[in-house]
Amino acid sequence: MSLSRSPPSPLTLAAPFATTAGGNGGRHQLLLPHRSWTNPNLAASTRVGGGASVRCMANQRRVKMVAKQIQRELSDMLLTDKVLQYAVLPEASLGADRYLSSLTTISGVEVSGDLQVVKVYVSVFGDERGREVAIAGLKSKAKYVRSELGRRMKLRLTPEIRFIEDESLERGSRVLAILDRLKEEKKSSKGNDVKQLEPLNSSEEDGDGDMDDEDEGIIYIK
Amino acid sequence: MTKAIPRIGSRRNGRIGSRKNGRRIPKGIIHVQASFNNTIVTVTDVRGRVVSWASAGTSGFKGTRRGTPYAAQAAALNAIRTVVNQGMQRAEVMIKGPGLGRDAALRAIRRSGILLSFVRDVTPMPHNGCRPPKKRRV
Repeated sequence: MSLSRSPPSPLTLAAPFATTAGGNGGRHQLLLPHRSWTNPNLAASTRVGGGASVRCMANQRRVKMVAKQIQRELSDMLLTDKVLQYAVLPEASLGADRYLSSLTTISGVEVSGDLQVVKVYVSVFGDERGREVAIAGLKSKAKYVRSELGRRMKLRLTPEIRFIEDESLERGSRVLAILDRLKEEKKSSKGNDVKQLEPLNSSEEDGDGDMDDEDEGIIYIK
Repeated sequence: MTKAIPRIGSRRNGRIGSRKNGRRIPKGIIHVQASFNNTIVTVTDVRGRVVSWASAGTSGFKGTRRGTPYAAQAAALNAIRTVVNQGMQRAEVMIKGPGLGRDAALRAIRRSGILLSFVRDVTPMPHNGCRPPKKRRV
């Protein structure tokens, strides 16, 4: 019954406990694929009679939805929350009238299978010092962000948040710049003015093929 | 026998934008609206009159791929292509909204050779006005 549905091994090992010490754990596991959108967060470890705690893994679809929702909430928090903005960009407190020296974006969110740990990938646009200031500011406000997230989202257990700097956008941009430069050099060596229009089209098509390699570095939340 | 009627009505209305090749704009403003599902890049002059625009959807992406940073980059390149040929050197960038397009479009603009003079964030912020839509339940 539940054995065939549950992929993680701890559950299959603990299944005898679950069936003997109350069938509620097993029954929840059966209901999960059908009514996952109404069930509350099943990431809490359920105490089984012998004292061994069973970790329920939420199903993949729900993990993705939670990740997307966390990304939305955190992006919104970066835009509206004053405390976070001062942490990321200290000169905003001086009333810099929104003339930014660095721009922070949440480029991706990864949630662990049991919805307990969240890795937030942050990409900062700006010079080196601005980047350090932004990442350090975010890391210092991790606990505050966690409590804010708990207030905004209805989760049984608010996950622990870790901020990681994401360099994939920067890397992709560098590679594309190098490719553009190579194309310009190749076209200018041919020495024809009419041909300048063509590389703009061909560089886009080549860019599509090259971006597939960088896509693996960039985390898309679909 | 019938003489062709010259169409000068468009010029009389004061819509100067129809004379596209005549304008030389050394400095302009690039607006980037980056939502979660799409990115729209609009190039205007200093007063706000639109010169050209492109979005991730018009750059050949459909569906969920419009929200990706690569699509934002392609949209930015498409939007400023016409303007770079007209000789725009400096630009101010106004960014609106959350979304991956913020970063990617900025990087694409910087890479294209246009000098970024300022980067501003103009996300509309109500002073507690309209009621926001209801919370999404996850």
